[in-house]
Amino acid sequence: MTVIELDDIYKTYTESVVPVHAVNGVSVGIDKGEFTAIVGPSGCGKTTLLNMIGGLDAPTKGKIRIEGEDISRLSDKQLVDFRLHNIGFVFQAYNLIPVLTVRENIRFIMELEHRDSKEMQQRVEYLLEKLDMKDKLNVRPKYLSGGQQQRVAVARALASHPKFVLADEPTANLDSHATEVLLELMATMNKEEEMTFIFSTHDQRVMDKARRIITLEDGKVVGDAKTGI
Amino acid sequence: MIVSIAWRNVWRNKVRSLVVIAAIALGLWGGIFSYAFMQGMTGQQTYSSIHTETGHLQLNSPKFLLNYDLHVNVANADEVQKEIATMPGVLGVSSSIQLTSIASTAYASAGTMVTGVDTANFRTVSELDKYLVKGDFLGRGRSNQVLIGQQLAEKLHAGIHSRLVFTLQSYSGEITYSAFKVVGIYKLHNSEFNERMVFVRKSDLQKIIGFPAGSASAINVLLDNDEATAVTEAELKNKFPELQVQSWQELSPMLQLMSGTIDQMSFIFVFIILLALAFGIVNTMLMAVMDRTRELGVLLCIGMNRAKVFRMIVLETIFLSFTGAVVGLLLSIVTVSYFGTRGIDLSLIADGINALGFSSHVYPKLDFGFYPKFAAMVIIISLFSSFFPARRATRLNPAEAVRQE
Repeated sequence: MTVIELDDIYKTYTESVVPVHAVNGVSVGIDKGEFTAIVGPSGCGKTTLLNMIGGLDAPTKGKIRIEGEDISRLSDKQLVDFRLHNIGFVFQAYNLIPVLTVRENIRFIMELEHRDSKEMQQRVEYLLEKLDMKDKLNVRPKYLSGGQQQRVAVARALASHPKFVLADEPTANLDSHATEVLLELMATMNKEEEMTFIFSTHDQRVMDKARRIITLEDGKVVGDAKTGI
Repeated sequence: MIVSIAWRNVWRNKVRSLVVIAAIALGLWGGIFSYAFMQGMTGQQTYSSIHTETGHLQLNSPKFLLNYDLHVNVANADEVQKEIATMPGVLGVSSSIQLTSIASTAYASAGTMVTGVDTANFRTVSELDKYLVKGDFLGRGRSNQVLIGQQLAEKLHAGIHSRLVFTLQSYSGEITYSAFKVVGIYKLHNSEFNERMVFVRKSDLQKIIGFPAGSASAINVLLDNDEATAVTEAELKNKFPELQVQSWQELSPMLQLMSGTIDQMSFIFVFIILLALAFGIVNTMLMAVMDRTRELGVLLCIGMNRAKVFRMIVLETIFLSFTGAVVGLLLSIVTVSYFGTRGIDLSLIADGINALGFSSHVYPKLDFGFYPKFAAMVIIISLFSSFFPARRATRLNPAEAVRQE
């Protein structure tokens, strides 16, 4: 079942003197539970595409439907709610909240959703167990390595059981072991909770795990293939 | 969670926050202390005026105060005095004879106001005896004793036991001369009073000028608290419709005016300090928001709505302001209570201050009514200061913000 439909999407940035056409007529459908990597050279529009799927940016032209709903018609407030309840974001630069501990960072989105305290506690413990970080529960991000911070960032994105996880170069700064742990967790969530994952990446290790690879060049889809995994 | 994040954010850049907190604390302390200082000054002046000059209320015949005519007097002063003494809340009542005169010594002359008082009753309404710097209060002994102020003593080159000759107008309209011996010299904060007012026994003055027994020029009343003045004034006006009843505010309008003006000016002064501090707070919070652009972008990305981001920045500003305010307030309470007990000695500029009627030893004080006003001002200033940084935070584009270095 197709849950994300990109219908002839264009995105042009006009802030600079010369307009930048970041995305040029992308039409793609993504099914529920996919584990998809969007690849391509720098500046090909991967991040822009992810931002538009996540409702952070609006397309200049075209429609994005998520579970049948055209998100470009949502108000700013509705988009915030939509992101909160449906999407987990993972950023290249971790972007944890520095004043919160590991536990508080992971709980954060669930707190915004006013989830039950016991449920939040169980979820945090489960994710930290999976990430082998139970001993870092009350540690603040600045005391963690880059790999550990990214694991917490992934746990935060997964904690509230989002339907979609959008990860922008999540492994760019990680070593092999950290990448392995993260991809393992995401694969588990994909399988157990049927979360749909979309990565933008240059990382071969991520591409090796992906079941579908969409290749972008100059804002256009130049390749779209199932990997057979 | 928002409250907790906001509080922790205040302490992320400790040096920056502590500088702002110190600025707020010192600014507030300066404002509050100067307010307390002014209040202490005017409070002391008011107290001194009531307890040495006018009492809370004064009764006299209408038009007496126009030219101090001896014939315009309270004929049944003794009965009036007795009746007032039985009223609730009245601490003391004293009647007096007042007339203008010229006091002379071998060296100089000066215009004075001679007040003839019944010594025992006078002490129930006046604390003048506490301000004696030389000699004693009017006593029972020999006749024609006089109590003069320090400025007059200096002007006339008079000391204890000096003889002063007063030129007086008798009740029958004739000019009489009478010699008085200085038994005491007082010094109030009010140098004009010290130079003009002299006190003698009522019985002596009565005899010299032939003033009718049982009568008085004025009757002064001291109450057990200042707030009862208006009520007692109304009662007295009702009881003695033939007399003019005036409160200390009416008798010393400048005092009331100054007290009220200084109060308002001090309040405006504190408000201006807070307003100036508000710009410092706005600047600090704007810097904090700009430093955290990416983080705020992440919050907006992951589902924190703009209202919550706005609330978080407002809370941070309020926490910052209130921490400074609490420190400033504690500092103020400590210093105001310390100097409120020990006083601040301004003897170096005593002449100028006394000429304005203020004491040169000031005891700062702060009314409790100030605190709710102060709290309201800090809340207003904090909210005002938080608005611009909070609005800036909510206007961030999350997609752009997360890309910021």
